[in-house]
Amino acid sequence: MDVKTVRDVAKFAHIALTDEEAERYCKELGDILGYFELLNEAPECNERGVNPIMVADIIREDVPKEEFDADELLRGMDTYDRYVRGPRLS
Amino acid sequence: MSMDDVMSKLKAVNEKYRMFHAMTDDTSAGDADFLFSAKDNLTSKDMETCAGSRILEGYHPVFDATSISKLRDAGGKLVGKTNMDEFGFGTFSTNSGFEIPRNPYALDRACGGSSGGSACAASVIEDHISLGVSTGGSICCPASFCGVYGIAPTYGRVSRYGLIDYGNSLDKIGVLSQKATDLKKYMELIAGKDDRDPTSMVQPDFDTSYTKMRSVAIPKEGIEGLSKEVEAAFNNAVEQLKGMGVDVEYVDMPSLRFAMPAYYVLATSEASTNLARYVGMRYGHQDGDRTQKFDDFFTEVRTKYFGDEAKRRILLGTYARMAGFGGRHYAKAREVRQVVINDYKKVLADHDAVLAPTMPFTAPKFDDISKMSALDSYKADYLTVPANIAGTPHLSVPCGYDSEGMPVGMQFVADHWNEKVLFSVAEDWEKQFDLKRPEVSI
Repeated sequence: MDVKTVRDVAKFAHIALTDEEAERYCKELGDILGYFELLNEAPECNERGVNPIMVADIIREDVPKEEFDADELLRGMDTYDRYVRGPRLS
Repeated sequence: MSMDDVMSKLKAVNEKYRMFHAMTDDTSAGDADFLFSAKDNLTSKDMETCAGSRILEGYHPVFDATSISKLRDAGGKLVGKTNMDEFGFGTFSTNSGFEIPRNPYALDRACGGSSGGSACAASVIEDHISLGVSTGGSICCPASFCGVYGIAPTYGRVSRYGLIDYGNSLDKIGVLSQKATDLKKYMELIAGKDDRDPTSMVQPDFDTSYTKMRSVAIPKEGIEGLSKEVEAAFNNAVEQLKGMGVDVEYVDMPSLRFAMPAYYVLATSEASTNLARYVGMRYGHQDGDRTQKFDDFFTEVRTKYFGDEAKRRILLGTYARMAGFGGRHYAKAREVRQVVINDYKKVLADHDAVLAPTMPFTAPKFDDISKMSALDSYKADYLTVPANIAGTPHLSVPCGYDSEGMPVGMQFVADHWNEKVLFSVAEDWEKQFDLKRPEVSI
């Protein structure tokens, strides 16, 4: 882990870092990633579940329903003509 | 003390212990059958929900989490949303954008995390139950530090609908209380399949019948690195268990030492994707300058409102998922999860539960926590992480006190869906354990 990598990852994650933060996270993440190397000593296993228990019933019927009032959902948001207002795309 | 008496003192109690981020203005219990609180990463219609993060400040959900709505339907009155580490990222509830709960037994010590406010409320308020959420130990750790009973059920036992995600494959909603008998009573109310959460399982019935615990296995890996006082209290508790007719065997579970790094790879990977949705639109703070380009807008909001530990875990998880490093470690972490599950299944084929102290030390002072490195703090979870990564139900009971009167906890881990044996041993333990409640002078 080096400071440039920390900065690249932070940019990708939309987080700005000061020089002090970049240096500090670089050291801390380096220590943590070094600890992760312990995984190389772990035994092999052919199974790799996404969840600890197999979710057998993950598919359900897609039934349309209106549970919430749209105006209630928009409450507290910055809106324009009932659209959520966002920043510029370019 | 009546529920109305409790309600009348709630504000004063909170001023002393800081367990609530948001709380009711009511001073009467009305027609409620019981009072409860919930960790602030569970959405609530009538109270702001922030999950300990300033980025969600001002967020008023339009719906209740299923676990909260089920307790309301059963006659419960939600009195407060409890303080916690930001999005659950911590072991001491000190990584919060808001108030830090204080330990009921010593105000200069932590409640544990990340459901610290819930454990504090369960410990301090009479006849109170609190909903907590565990990802890597966030129910049992604070239960241990605050001297209460706490259960994290089997993964998928309780709907995660309305839970603000930390790690989707790890998060479990459970209950904390002063009374072991409450765990079964209230878990039964919140358990069950929910069509709104695809990871809530079609599951075996919630069996509440008594099943005497006959044998426990103590992994040698679970009694390493303990403080002397925790070790002494635990050994004493093991002797008490033997006196209750429980057979005790010491076993090897070598996979446990790999659970910690695997957990942090999985948890931060999932967290970094879950937190991508907080960009200053839709939820919480929306005060960014919308004339900016979206990259700059998102970056400004996230940089301003995420706390230090949230940023650390986002960076770690984002890196862990990147090509090269990520492919290697993320895949390996998933393998390790299965290895740990297999290890538990093997031991639990011959024993009713795996037992170890819940935490390697008692509640630390805030001054000492501030001197810990991030990695030191992560490593403190080594006793609670294995059961969480395996999705196995686990329950912490208070089992002793150190020389300064701080509680020690021990944690039983049972096989998937076998919560009933945990309830039974906790209730048997409660009958003979001398619980010392904190002095609450309000």
